This record gives sequence, C-alpha cells and structure tokens, in this order.
Amino acid sequence: MLPRLAAVHLMTRAATITVHIPTTLRDCCGGASKLALPATSLRAVLEELERRHPALHRSICDDTGTVRRHVNLFVNTDHMRDRNGLDTPLAPGDVVTILPAVSGG
Amino acid sequence: MATRVLLCIGTKKGLFVAESPKTRRRFALRGPFGAGVGVYSALIDTRGTPRIYGSSCHAYFGMKVLRSTDLGKTFRETKSAPAFPKDDGRALANIWSLDAGKDKKDLWCGVEPAALFRSRNGGDSWELVPGISNHEHARKWQPGNGGLCLHTILRDGNRVHLGISTGGHYLSEDGGQTFAPANKGVGAGFLPDPFIEFGQCVHKIARHPDAPGRLYMQNHGGFPEHPGVGVLRSDDHGHTWRSISKGLPSDFGFPILVHPRDPDTVYVLPLEPATRTCPGSAPAVWRSENGGDSWQKLAQGLPKKESYFTVLRDAMDIDELSSPALYFGTTTGQLWIGRDGGERWECLFDALPPIHCVKAAVV
Repeated sequence: MLPRLAAVHLMTRAATITVHIPTTLRDCCGGASKLALPATSLRAVLEELERRHPALHRSICDDTGTVRRHVNLFVNTDHMRDRNGLDTPLAPGDVVTILPAVSGG
Repeated sequence: MATRVLLCIGTKKGLFVAESPKTRRRFALRGPFGAGVGVYSALIDTRGTPRIYGSSCHAYFGMKVLRSTDLGKTFRETKSAPAFPKDDGRALANIWSLDAGKDKKDLWCGVEPAALFRSRNGGDSWELVPGISNHEHARKWQPGNGGLCLHTILRDGNRVHLGISTGGHYLSEDGGQTFAPANKGVGAGFLPDPFIEFGQCVHKIARHPDAPGRLYMQNHGGFPEHPGVGVLRSDDHGHTWRSISKGLPSDFGFPILVHPRDPDTVYVLPLEPATRTCPGSAPAVWRSENGGDSWQKLAQGLPKKESYFTVLRDAMDIDELSSPALYFGTTTGQLWIGRDGGERWECLFDALPPIHCVKAAVV
C-alpha cells in the first residue's frame, strides 16, 4: 500500500479529467456521453482512449495516430491548436470536448 | 432453397437493402444503414448463412465495416476495420472492395490508398496483405480522379487478380503471397507511351467463374489518339490483353459484367470521356454475346434524351436467376432494373442519394 503522501502525488500527476463524447461517437464507448480518465496531457487522453475504447480512438485518430482533419479537440473552451496541441497539459477538473467540424451537403 | 432477390445499394448517405420475391415485380426498400455516411462497397456473401457487408466511410471519423446476419434488416459494426500499421505512414481513406475469400469467414478488402487486407473471421480483425500492399511499385502508383484505389479482387484457386486505379492489373499465382503486374496490351492513354509495365487506370475487371482464363476489363479509354484501349479481353488469365471495343459508341466507362451462365456474354455501359455521362445524353447498356466481337445496344425503357448521370465502377450488377436481370444505379440516385438480361428497363427507385455501388444476389 502506498504511503498517503505518495498516493496524493500520483493523483496529482494523473489528474482525473472529463471527456465529453459527441452523440455520433457514443456507440464507440458503450453509449457514454462523458468519460472520466486519468491524464496529464491531451496526448495522454488519446492514449488512454486507445487502450480503453479503441473504436472511439480510431474515430478520432487515423492509422498514423494523427487527429483526423475534421475532428476538433477542445480543452475547456480552447481549441487545442490555441494551446499546445496534443502536449497541452491538463489539470484536475479539466474538460476535454471532442467535436466534429460542421458540415453541409 | 433460394426464394428472393436482394440488392445492396451503397450510396452517399448510407446503405440501402431492397428485397423482392424471385418474380422481381416489386422491391421493398429498407435503410439507410450507417445513415448519412458514404458506402462505396458491399458484399452479399451467400456462402452458408447469408451475410451482408458494407463499408461505411465517414469523411470525419474514418472507416467502418458493417455486417448483417439477418438479410439486411439490421447491421452492426464489425469489431475492427482495416488499418495500416502505425509506422507505415499511410492512412486509410476509403474501402473500395469487399470480396469473399476461400473459407466461410475469409474476406478480402481493397482500400484507398491502394492496398489489400484480409480477414479470416468475417471482418472482426484484418491483416495487411504485404505482397501487393508493400509491393515495390506501391509508392509509385498515382491516384486517378476517384483516388488511388484497389477496387477489383477476383480469385481463381491460387490466382488472384487485382485492379488498381491507377496501378493497373496485378496477378498473383501463389494465393496472394506475391504479385506481378500483368498489363501487356493494357494502355495508359494519358501517357506519351501508353504501353507501360504498370500505372494504367483500370476501372473494373470481370470474369465468369467457369471460364477463369477469360477476363474482361473496362480500362480508362476515350483517347482519340489511342483508340480502343478502353474495353479489353484476355484469354490467358490476364497475362495479355486485346481490344474488344469495336462497335461501341465510346470505349470509356466504369462497370463491366459477365452473364452468370455464359462467359461469352459481357455488358458495359459506355460513357462520354469528357463528361462521364451517356453518349447523346441517352443511357444504354451494351451487350456482346460473342466475347466482345460485336455489340448490341440495350436501351428499351431507358430515357432517350436529357440524362446526364454517371454509373460508377461498382454500380452495375446482374442476378443469377434463369432469366437474369441487370441492375444499375446512377449518380443522380436512380436504380434501374434491366429485365430479361437487359432487354427491358424499368426504374425501381428514382430518388435515392447518389449511388456508389449495387450488388445483387439470390438468397
């Protein structure tokens, strides 16, 4: 069993953040609209999704691991491109939102 | 005992299934499945209990394979879709071909960028077929207007024929382990020297299972300076090809079909090369009953003017009843049936989304 201080430290390093799932992708994660994941960066969120929900990850990233062109990732209200891309650090309570681009046709 | 005809219609907005008794008088339509997402390939797998597969190619979220085990009443996503290895550098852009392999759950899948995948469990997991996907030519193939796609897979024992646009015809004679280009006589009319080893813009290849040595090809034709490169025939398992386009109004087109019981009977749907629409804006299927030596126009019931649609490479099929019917779908969303082998045409559905592929089976 970890000493109390060490456990607190680990929780800080792997903050629990919330991932909002768009309706069109909820079938890929058992219908969940939100997922709670431990992650310290946006990249770590994707790695965690790949491990836990591979079909969801495939919908967000292509075969090379690149975020698909028409999928937008927000940290709270900021698009990842306005922060530090996939290296954007995450803090406890942060919300990551996956949103498809708007489309017509 | 087979009692009904099933049609799978892949469209820009999802997969539709149409079902009729063997009379084919009326078809009931259901769908769209994978609603709102483009479907470029479908397979009605009649080995054992019929299964239907369809690709679902989402422009945003990538590729999925849909599977139905209840004759197209419901579809569920398979456990995975084809994907390139992470370090390969290529990313799947579309699924162009789904075909039945040797064993009941064996499937082959041709994709864009041109590569071949195989599943041995009905589509739940996929492996890259390296003999063609990592062929020394693979990084030299160029995309045509429709993308760099592997669209045709024909199997005959240990022979596997592939059609790639633009890559040409590739042949394996060891069950798909290794492939070599086999394009002698297949012209690439868009190049200064059209008769090259590989790089042709093959549109579709067809053959009759009882005459596997005879193949028919709809190649990219329509070049006045290279007449006749568009519709071709091989009598030696695809090693060499010769033109059979004499008598057609255009040697450009996409689909090509063989009659289910007569290897000499072949169908094409000629298009104007510049517009990809039917010559004179009057659609017609053309049939040869002597292996391409001569052609007859089949247009009874089809519009005689003012029709400007395209019929894409997989959007024409033929069923296997004793008097088979042809079916073609248009980019303007019409599905046509050609009864008595294409003698009498009738529009089954006239307001579907743009149609990418049509597959017919008797189940």
